[in-house]
Amino acid sequence: MNAPIALPPIRRTALPNGLQVIVARRPGVPLAAVRLVLRGGSSLDPARRSGLAHLVALAARRGTRRHTGTEIDLAVESLGAELGTGVDEDATYAGLSAPVEALPRCLDILAEVATAPTFPVSEVKRLQRREVAALAHDLDEPSLVADRAMLSATYGDHPYGHAPEGRVRDLSDTRRADVAAFHARQYRPAAGILVVVGNVEAEEVLRMVRRRYGAWDGEGGAAPPLRAPAPPETLVVVVDKPDVTQSQVRIASPGFPRSSPDYVPGIVASAVLGGGFTSRLMEAIRVNRGLSYGVRSRFATSGAGGVFVVSTFTKVETTSEIVQVALDETARFCDGGPTAEELERTQSYLCGLFPLSLETHDQLAEKLADLALYELGDEEITLFRDRVRAVTPEACREAGRRYFPLERRVVVAVGPAKSIAPSLERFGPVKVVPARKMV
Amino acid sequence: MANSRALPRVLDLDQVRTQTLTNGLRIRVMPERSAPTLSYYTFFQVGSRNERLGTTGISHLFEHMMFNGAAKYGPKEFDRVLEARGGHSNAYTSNDVTAYYEDFAPEALETVLDLESDRMRSLRLTSESLEQEREVVKEERRLRTENSIFGLMEEQLEALVFLAHPYRWPVIGWMDDIERITRDDCEAFFRTYYAPNNAAVYVVGDVDPDETMGLVARYYGDIAPGPRPASVAQGEPPQRGERRAAVRYPAQAPALLVGWRGPAGRSADSAALDVLQACLAVGESSRLRRRLVQEEEVAVSISIGWGWRIDPGIFLAFAELAPGTAPERAERLLWDEIDKVATRGVSAGEVKRAQALLRSSVLHELATHHGVAHALGQAEALIGDWREAGRALEHYASVGVADLKRVAREYLDPARRCVVVLEPEVRR
Repeated sequence: MNAPIALPPIRRTALPNGLQVIVARRPGVPLAAVRLVLRGGSSLDPARRSGLAHLVALAARRGTRRHTGTEIDLAVESLGAELGTGVDEDATYAGLSAPVEALPRCLDILAEVATAPTFPVSEVKRLQRREVAALAHDLDEPSLVADRAMLSATYGDHPYGHAPEGRVRDLSDTRRADVAAFHARQYRPAAGILVVVGNVEAEEVLRMVRRRYGAWDGEGGAAPPLRAPAPPETLVVVVDKPDVTQSQVRIASPGFPRSSPDYVPGIVASAVLGGGFTSRLMEAIRVNRGLSYGVRSRFATSGAGGVFVVSTFTKVETTSEIVQVALDETARFCDGGPTAEELERTQSYLCGLFPLSLETHDQLAEKLADLALYELGDEEITLFRDRVRAVTPEACREAGRRYFPLERRVVVAVGPAKSIAPSLERFGPVKVVPARKMV
Repeated sequence: MANSRALPRVLDLDQVRTQTLTNGLRIRVMPERSAPTLSYYTFFQVGSRNERLGTTGISHLFEHMMFNGAAKYGPKEFDRVLEARGGHSNAYTSNDVTAYYEDFAPEALETVLDLESDRMRSLRLTSESLEQEREVVKEERRLRTENSIFGLMEEQLEALVFLAHPYRWPVIGWMDDIERITRDDCEAFFRTYYAPNNAAVYVVGDVDPDETMGLVARYYGDIAPGPRPASVAQGEPPQRGERRAAVRYPAQAPALLVGWRGPAGRSADSAALDVLQACLAVGESSRLRRRLVQEEEVAVSISIGWGWRIDPGIFLAFAELAPGTAPERAERLLWDEIDKVATRGVSAGEVKRAQALLRSSVLHELATHHGVAHALGQAEALIGDWREAGRALEHYASVGVADLKRVAREYLDPARRCVVVLEPEVRR
């Protein structure tokens, strides 16, 4: 548990066109994980075009200069792989994991999808219809509705304030030209990071990559850096779903970006408050009061900012009680900080869990891509345990005081507004929103 | 068709050491030193299939009770002690089994043995902890069933597919039964189903197998065996015609859930149905995704669930439909696609594609100590032999075009299907 974390041999290089290439050689299962990451995700959606980056990522695989979307599906899946594409607020992702002997074909397909999509208008329109229809189903998932409401209440009109999947009206208004223009602007080799993990020879992989990605060029420069999000006003948002018997609850406050020096003390403090089965929130809410099946807290960290969120749910009747208990526990933590026993246990827990997040080739590929995306060094992995162990009770309490929801906070509750809104007024001004407004 | 003898071995089963203690506890240890971690699984041969009406959900509620203290490690201590040693744990209950796991660094092995044997030997069942867990489980039921469209529909489907078999009720139990379960019910349940003769332990990872075998025997050896559990009623009558149910709910869009009773997990047809599942609904180029999602656009998503069980389980198809779509139209397309497979079969290329996808998924599953320990335990609990965990690829490789046509015709017969339709209700 205290042994240093060793990384496998990693070869990093950049092609003349700017594409960063990372190859990690690791024995184990005979699969290779391939991941192409492009800087720029849903935070680059233009005004009134939310969901555009997401739509581009889905549409890119629906036809290229050489193959139809159906041919691409069949080619990938016949290798025993499934191609996944998507975006988050900071980046666009395309990845698959396939038998190692199929690596050349996988690199071919990813190169085609990223560099030469044709965006057939019939396919773009079909995906728009499907994504709009999928939003209707999202609206029937109270936890997804709560997450959307939390993003929008916490980030407001900042580019992080909308879900990557976008909104019905924006998606419906999007044209093929918007899709093609976004691709031309954002899918550039200089914005790209290609990661390969598996039992592979780095030089051989690099040769394959040069052959397939060397001629990729793209006009335009990097998007200007995002402004830091402004902290929200204290607010209670009640998303009205009259028929549910359980409320979904989020309590959020401004956090920090991924590169912040507060990252490690922050995750330790959050784990004491709301990580694992022995956290303070778990004990107060589940073990001592039986108010919920689950409660957890976490820092969601992005390039330009972040948010701290407590997520839970409870029967409609105890909605305000659960918010009160969570806020009381948070305040108690910020007052006294963790006990020595709590801090040590949490540090052991985080250190013990960490190697399990690097076990598979896919997991390692994802970690290496994230390090490159956020311009962090390998010591984020290799020194993780030492840094966690070095966090003091004071640093933990300080992180809580600085970021946990004390004065400035947003409370979101998805449930029947008539029953829950009045009792939530004590946590701040209440705004009631019909659920359908959330998509 | 791939030649099964040419397949590389994905799991070196010769490495597994086994022993059965005099109290009946089965122990399986597999050394695997690629990563400095250990995974420890305990499988109890009990799930909702062992329950009776009136106390449905007791297996799952009991799983929660297992974390609430025993003679040596009292309330709230189990996870605290484990987390302090850098480990973590969780558990799940299914129709067939209840499984507990810990993942940790090898030096914490004795702590885990002490914690696990303590609760098997001397669990403390108090009224306070029962009342508290009852409320937690009710919240879990509200989350997964009452406020979940799939959960609402699945509960209806199970009650359609099974008339007599205990697979008829949900694993989490009926709300009223969760309310009724008493401390005495829990005591009796513990004595019968949590005795060492109804359990098996799997240790996979960076360990010395002989030393580990000795340690497990030492920690568990003095626990007394329990009575033999009652057998499970198998009197499911044959289905002679389609069965239907509707769920009205204020949803934004309709959905369709269809189920057929399949074979038992130990049947050779179970692997054929895995391959059929991949042909029908795994990947964008699968038949149902292409027809219902891409070409006809009646569905936003479609998936198939086929999990091997001890007794014949459900082969189910779930489609989230586009708002405004008539469910009958989606049904007709689904029947048409299944009929095509049953009458004309699939191509050799489709079978190859399905086998390639299944191979990757098995390799993914067996890529971690946790995955291997679970696979061994699941194979033994459901099929009766842990060796089956290493044989899935051989089974898949032996499935041919003719098998798929046969299993589609036999199990996905229109007269044996059960259909649940979600009808969005307009709120006044």
